[in-house]
Amino acid sequence: MTPMRAMVIDDSRAMRMILKRIVTKLSFEAVEAGDGKEALDLLADMTEVPELALIDWNMPNMNGLEFVMKVRSDPRLREMTLVMVTTESEQSQIVRALAAGAHEYVIKPFTEGAMIEKLALLGLVPTGANS
Amino acid sequence: MSVEVEVDENDLAEMVEQVWEAYLDPEGVSPLMQTYDEHQPSEVHSSVSITGSWSGHIVYASSLAAAKRAAAAFLAMELDEVSEEDISDTLGELANIVGGNVKAMLPPGAQLSLPQVVLAPESSARYPNTERISGVYGLWEGEPVSISMWQSSTNTKEEGA
Repeated sequence: MTPMRAMVIDDSRAMRMILKRIVTKLSFEAVEAGDGKEALDLLADMTEVPELALIDWNMPNMNGLEFVMKVRSDPRLREMTLVMVTTESEQSQIVRALAAGAHEYVIKPFTEGAMIEKLALLGLVPTGANS
Repeated sequence: MSVEVEVDENDLAEMVEQVWEAYLDPEGVSPLMQTYDEHQPSEVHSSVSITGSWSGHIVYASSLAAAKRAAAAFLAMELDEVSEEDISDTLGELANIVGGNVKAMLPPGAQLSLPQVVLAPESSARYPNTERISGVYGLWEGEPVSISMWQSSTNTKEEGA
């Protein structure tokens, strides 16, 4: 069975490592990108689109919100589940991200358990993975 | 624009507690013990700048040993595996997380910069025309760590305008 794939998009290598650790624990195969543009470039070269993307908001070159809008406007990528993972915690920003097409929103700092819970709500966690 | 900053030591302490719980001390065994000593030494620091409805900086400063320990905890590594790049990335992300949470408490229209990391002591000379308005100062496993908030004097001038 082909493992599910998750794209971790954050300009912080440290945060990418944390997120990668979590999704790998959930049996995802992880792909990393340092900003939205790099992520889109990687996606353009992929034959199979990852099931999940964890996306920071504030990044150089292309921010997370722009990335979400680009993905949502591309029919090839429409099945991707998009989760914003960011310090942008104002209500107005959350509304903007969800309106642009993000499925979920996780505010930093987050615990591993909280992240897994969010992914479980999206149906992306195998039963018992958080135990 | 004139703004009244409503972020105080208690707010910063709460953010610090969340960061410790999420990344630096998930087991809850080594919290940051507050010393309230704003003159405690540092060897490395990171910062993010906020502009817009409020102008200033959020600074995370610590000893090198505490920074190394933070990187090891953050990245789930052994202490002796931690590189300078790991320390730099971790310090940048810690400043970013605290800065982002401070920004959320400011009036709308504030913008957060990308983090800057300097592997050298914190110094007020690095933040000209600012004053420290709030901070959490403590020891983490005996090593100094601080998170402080510096307000640009342009805020003060505008308030008087």
